[in-house]
Amino acid sequence: MEKLSYDAIVIGGGLAGLMAAHEIAVSGYKVAVISKVFPTRSHSSSAEGGIAAYIEGNSDPNDNPDYMTYDTIKGGDFLVDQDAAELLSQKSGEIVRIMESWGTLFNRQPDGRIAVRYFGGQTYPRTRFVGDKTGMALLHTLFQRVSGLDIDFYNEWFALDLIRDDKRVVGVVAMEMKSMTPVFFKARAIVMATGGMGMLYAHSTNAYINTGDGYAIALRAGAALKDPEFVQFHPTALYPSDILISEAARGEGAILINNKGERFMARYAPRKLDLAPRDIASRAIITEIREGRGFPGGYVGLDLRHLGEDYIKERLALAYEAAKNFAGVDATQEPIPVRPAQHYYMGGIDVDITGQNPDLIGLFAAGEVACVSVHGANRLGSNSLLETLVFGRETGRAVAKFLSEHKEEDSNSLDEEAEKVVDDAYKFVKSESGVHFGEILNKLRNVMWEKVGIFRDEDGMKDALSQIIELRKMTSSMYVMDKSIYYNTEFFNALELRNMLDLAIVIARTALERKESRGAHYRTDYPERDDKNWLKHTIAYLKGETVEITYKPVRITRWKPEPRVY
Amino acid sequence: MSEEEKEIVVKIKRFSKEKGSWWQEYKLKVDRFTQMTEVLRRIKTEQDPTLAYRASCHMAVCGSCGMKINGEPRLACKTLALDMVRKYGKNEITIEPMDFFPVIKDLVVDWTDFYNRMFKVKPRLYPSKEVLEGKAEHRLKPEDQRELWKFEQCIWCGLCVSACPSVKNDPEFLGPAAHAKGYRFLADPRDTIFDERLKILIDSAWRCTYCYQCFNVCPRDIEPVTTIKKTRAYTKFLSEKTPLALTGEKHTEAIVKSIEESGKIEEARVYISTYGLLTTITDMIYAMQNGKLRYALVTQKKVKDMEQIRKIMGE
Repeated sequence: MEKLSYDAIVIGGGLAGLMAAHEIAVSGYKVAVISKVFPTRSHSSSAEGGIAAYIEGNSDPNDNPDYMTYDTIKGGDFLVDQDAAELLSQKSGEIVRIMESWGTLFNRQPDGRIAVRYFGGQTYPRTRFVGDKTGMALLHTLFQRVSGLDIDFYNEWFALDLIRDDKRVVGVVAMEMKSMTPVFFKARAIVMATGGMGMLYAHSTNAYINTGDGYAIALRAGAALKDPEFVQFHPTALYPSDILISEAARGEGAILINNKGERFMARYAPRKLDLAPRDIASRAIITEIREGRGFPGGYVGLDLRHLGEDYIKERLALAYEAAKNFAGVDATQEPIPVRPAQHYYMGGIDVDITGQNPDLIGLFAAGEVACVSVHGANRLGSNSLLETLVFGRETGRAVAKFLSEHKEEDSNSLDEEAEKVVDDAYKFVKSESGVHFGEILNKLRNVMWEKVGIFRDEDGMKDALSQIIELRKMTSSMYVMDKSIYYNTEFFNALELRNMLDLAIVIARTALERKESRGAHYRTDYPERDDKNWLKHTIAYLKGETVEITYKPVRITRWKPEPRVY
Repeated sequence: MSEEEKEIVVKIKRFSKEKGSWWQEYKLKVDRFTQMTEVLRRIKTEQDPTLAYRASCHMAVCGSCGMKINGEPRLACKTLALDMVRKYGKNEITIEPMDFFPVIKDLVVDWTDFYNRMFKVKPRLYPSKEVLEGKAEHRLKPEDQRELWKFEQCIWCGLCVSACPSVKNDPEFLGPAAHAKGYRFLADPRDTIFDERLKILIDSAWRCTYCYQCFNVCPRDIEPVTTIKKTRAYTKFLSEKTPLALTGEKHTEAIVKSIEESGKIEEARVYISTYGLLTTITDMIYAMQNGKLRYALVTQKKVKDMEQIRKIMGE
């Protein structure tokens, strides 16, 4: 197998990965980005509403970074590591300034400064935006910026597994999708930045590529996931295509209505109303539908009409377009049909505020795939773009520091391990009969949606767990019909499914274990938050079919847990 | 909302290096919301896992799923199956890979040439040193932001290039997407490499034929051809003009002059002013040999109320 050598490898070409690669490259190290899609096709491009930032001199005069930290902590139902949230707030203004200086076309105020709007859970408006295509604007800016640096891009390369020795990572095996050629990329540091996992759920706003590869790769290498039971469901996905209708709509004044025309959020969040955090709004919508106040087919209305046509078309262009193109609804004339769908994953590879994983020396992670614990049990809108850039940068800097302190090259020959990774992957292609990946995939997505979704209980999750274990067994008889040795997408889909199943078992197992309701993890059999027993992070390892669970305290600096009322 | 299902036939042009090219048919039920990306996903997960295509965001922002649907260059995600059925009056939909790009497998094409075109225009802002170091900040008028944002929304899908006849015939032409990207930075008041951008863009801008195919197929409505027109208007700022840029400039001047004098575009006069007498005579001989000379010699009467024309031109 061919071998290539770098100081650091970044896996994933979205905002977090590119920002990390930027920092490593400008520090003078040799870095490569491996991505299964061309970088601008990463899921960062789908982020709509904006990026939260406290900008000194360009924020509400009463606002300050501490209010922003508090909002994030409360939004996350106090499962947030407060030092991480403080860092996020303090660096927010700087990161927006950097992106602006690199060319991002933020919407402007009449005096030429960057404009701002409200998002859910914010005490003061902090969301900076480019129409409602903020992620796309930021991703293109950053990719274009780093494309001028000395970084090697391996686009449409699929990462198979990490290679490690006793205590540290030494590289990754990846395959070029076009030629199906595997290469052993050796590096002293690996940054996982592979994004989320929405494809585990039957309904998700995520891109088709979000199959949770990074979580599974880290788990198989022996690293832990932190808080894997916390999955965010966005309240307003377009019915029935699950295209995201940005929270910006409600930030700009849109309201949720049921089939009686009632503004029902008044019953669930009397003060914040439609701008309550996502978990609360999602449960409210499902409750309305279950109690017969939804529309036939199972959705509620998102009413923008009072905002006026011009305003809707300028500030909420994507929502307007999506409703028109994909649901045949003119949002200036009638409410947009919406329902909740999986949207974001708070859990992720366990890392500290420098992006470093404690289990494996040289393993880093940033962005959605990481769990720095800034989002806790529920992420606030427009904090994810912020996290990718702030912690992408922190992580890239930490990698540069790590590289300066760990100069030794790996002396062990681990070529056999690398060969084994490729053999394991190819066993699906070698089988001559069995089940196709699609059959297992569709079952998995339904089980996760129905039993490990917005409302959870013990019986449902036990059932889910046994079904997932059954599906994992089925993969041993999975086979790939396509024997082609060029761009064999069926082969890569089978590998994605393997990743999804490794993650699914961890989510179901840890969700079953957490016997309380907190943020996005809502149990009908334990409907209350239980700080006495459960104000702690779940740490989960995957050992074969067994999920090993330990716990870690939440880092609390200045804000004591209090009831979460909106 | 009723969701009436209808069975459709999807005919896909497939290709693999091992087997060559063939057409394959699939049948499935769709409703009025079913996107073509969903059609492909269902074929792949329920009927034929060997089908290869690219798709990512399913909301027209990632640019992965460009292909030809019923012969039209389109994003699959931005195309509803039943809209195609209605438009063409039959329940069979054909899908082929985009034109112009080499096919790797089935609907997956090789984008290398496209990306190279994009990188040629230095697709990034070069801000001033002060701003880069955080010592100064950019301000931008809301109207400038709006104007630039229109052209910044290119998602690198390649559809415009696949539909562009000039790209196929003229290796010097950068193509519509690269021009849109190039113009977006050329017109950005925050950028500092204006002269270098002119050198990259101007000559190529005069190679477009204004056929408007890019305008028609762009899924984000960024109007690449408009950026090419706007770029041509910057020709006067280019210090060392290429022969093509010079001809282009002369052509524009000749048209303005013709309208100012007669209120019409007098093709023969414009031709002589643009290409000079010698080239015009050679070209006339060529036209004569082909029996087309009479078209070149059509004389046009002056517009009566020239005052009004001049007034409009002045404005």
